[in-house]
Amino acid sequence: MNSSLAAVLSNPAIWRGGDCAPEPAALPSGFPALDAVLPGRGWPGAALTEIVLEREGIGEIRLTLPALARLQAQGHDVVWIAPPHVPYAPALAAAGLDLARLFIVHCRSPADQLWAYEQALRAPECGAAFAWLGPHDDRTMRRLAVAAREGRTWGVLWRRPGQRAIAATASLRLALAPQEGRLAVRVLKRRGGDLAQPVLVDVDAGGGNLPPLPDSRTSAGRALTSGRLHSRHVLPT
Amino acid sequence: MLWACLLLPSLPLDVFARAASPADAAKPFAVGSGGRTPRIVSANASARATGIHPGQLVSAALALAPDLLLCDRDPGAESAALAAVASWATQFTPTVALAPPDAVLAEIGGSLRLFGGLPQLMARLARGVLDLGYAARFALAPTSAAALLFARAETAEGRRRSGESRAGLDFSGTSARENGGSRKVEPDPVFLASMPEPPTWLDALLPLPLCLTEADPAAIATLAAAGITTFGQACALPRAALARRVGADFVTLLDRVRGLIPDPRPPFVPPPRYTGKLDLPAPVASVEALAFAVNRLVLELAGWLTGRGLGVTGMSLVLAHERYVRVATGVPATTVGFALAVPAREPAHLVAVLRERLARVVLSAPVEAITLMSKATAPLASRNLGLLPGDEAVATVPLLDRLRARLGEDAVTLVAPHAEHRPERAWRDGKIGDRPRSPGTTEAACKTWSVPRPVWLLAEPEPLGHRLEAQPWVLRDGPERIESGWWDGADVRRDYFVAENPRGETVWIYRDHRFGIDGGEWFLHGVFA
Repeated sequence: MNSSLAAVLSNPAIWRGGDCAPEPAALPSGFPALDAVLPGRGWPGAALTEIVLEREGIGEIRLTLPALARLQAQGHDVVWIAPPHVPYAPALAAAGLDLARLFIVHCRSPADQLWAYEQALRAPECGAAFAWLGPHDDRTMRRLAVAAREGRTWGVLWRRPGQRAIAATASLRLALAPQEGRLAVRVLKRRGGDLAQPVLVDVDAGGGNLPPLPDSRTSAGRALTSGRLHSRHVLPT
Repeated sequence: MLWACLLLPSLPLDVFARAASPADAAKPFAVGSGGRTPRIVSANASARATGIHPGQLVSAALALAPDLLLCDRDPGAESAALAAVASWATQFTPTVALAPPDAVLAEIGGSLRLFGGLPQLMARLARGVLDLGYAARFALAPTSAAALLFARAETAEGRRRSGESRAGLDFSGTSARENGGSRKVEPDPVFLASMPEPPTWLDALLPLPLCLTEADPAAIATLAAAGITTFGQACALPRAALARRVGADFVTLLDRVRGLIPDPRPPFVPPPRYTGKLDLPAPVASVEALAFAVNRLVLELAGWLTGRGLGVTGMSLVLAHERYVRVATGVPATTVGFALAVPAREPAHLVAVLRERLARVVLSAPVEAITLMSKATAPLASRNLGLLPGDEAVATVPLLDRLRARLGEDAVTLVAPHAEHRPERAWRDGKIGDRPRSPGTTEAACKTWSVPRPVWLLAEPEPLGHRLEAQPWVLRDGPERIESGWWDGADVRRDYFVAENPRGETVWIYRDHRFGIDGGEWFLHGVFA
């Protein structure tokens, strides 16, 4: 390309169809397939993300663990508010999280959950805040989005299966579903750009530190000792 | 050596008026001496505006202002307040001495550089004493006795007793005055140019009255009868004759004031634990109204902590109820405890934690007095000052302290792995305050986990039961036999599998073999989120 043309096109005031909005504080997710469809090649580091789950147990948390580990290595704290189950310490430690910087907040009332989430989003020492909240209205969500922007925190709102999506004003919205043994990520909303194609992400290979599960559809698998299964095995009923 | 004298001229009044918010300060308030013919000892600005002055009979004062609020003088509270101000002042210098009944002496020559120069240090002292709730006058001199003399001479009382106005000569520093109910600091413009240098300050000493020095009153009376009333006149007398007439102590005092011989004062040692009490002017029924009084005590606590180089990790606030409530219901006080994750001494941080915690407290009866005590402290190094402007980090209340103060100490938890085969016991609550691990140890933890573990663990394993019959599940890994715990009664014998259920979710299930290999029940224990 002509160098003067390149100089003109690099002006941030010019948007080409197919470009995403510039995302200054993007956190690389550790999964190249996912980074390809996210604005700025990573999770939005100073905004809200809403993740709608079609099923639980499809690798949704493992999708975010590499980015959390990187944030903690930079000295930020991570706050999880009202997680649905007990976060299992051995698994999180194996994934590379620093458990001394992961704070889990249990609240008695939805109002407390909301207050705690807003405090976490505004705190400068907090790098990421995950919340499993109930239904809330649009005004609350906008307030949380402002808090995330001012506190420069990566905020994630998880919507469990059966919960209605609430954050239409989040800067990034994803829908996760299982597909062919891998995680299918559909981008419902991202800043700028056209509609992204659904991506299949393999959360077990390369991204995280959990040992990859042997997948019967691929030949790559762990060396299995005798007595263990090495093929698809249907559960006896 | 540069000594600063902090004189609290209205101390009898301020020990009561400290807790009053600025709205209450507009009401006339005076302190009486008590006894058979009570006289006014001190009165606030709105009382003085009605014509009340110290020395008047209380009955006359009440005639002038019928709605006057009156308290009896409390010498115990005054000496406690003086000690509190002295321990607050230890944050600026280690050399602090008391000069009862109403002054604190501090040697600030060694602290000038750290605090950025004399005007900045005096401004911080003045603002700080004002924030504590006391009206103060300052004076500077190379010797402590001279500083005390200058400060005493500057007060209205001193002027009245010396019988002359002292408009021209001003060695006092910034003076904090009340102004129509709101207190604001007015720095004297003369102050910035009045850094004392010899021999100017010696000349300034000469016209000061002898009655304001710490000399024996009998000696002062003897000299006054002979017509010797000022310091200069006493210094001009022949020393040997003066010593024979009024005693050698008087001559030593004259020499100490002029700096000819050293003047060692017993140093003030701050107490090992901080206890600050504040009596409220009227019983307070709501927690929000306590904020003003709590703020004053927190500033004292912060000064004490800075002076001793400590940070506080545990405080306790005792809200004492009214006496009739104490007697009638037997509930003397509500005690509120605070715990901080890391030692802290910034006043803003402590006030924020206190405010969040107090928002949860429900008062059972109106509160008459509050007491703040430090329960647990730990050494805290000072903040490093940045070289360039803008380097200093903004002091923010750590998120953790705010969450714990508002939601309760058990609302925020950490998790940590525990060496144990049984999965439900392989994790435990971590201690907040553990130092974050260095990156090297994370790698070591990874190596031990060669088996798959789920991100979510169910609190109680769920029996799968009928779900298995509906559609077949796919086992992806296993079996992993965990057999352990025979020693404490919670023995397990389980075969763990990583399975994919028909809906596509990857879960961690096990078959319980405690009662034999066949016929074990299937349970769901974790989710590979």
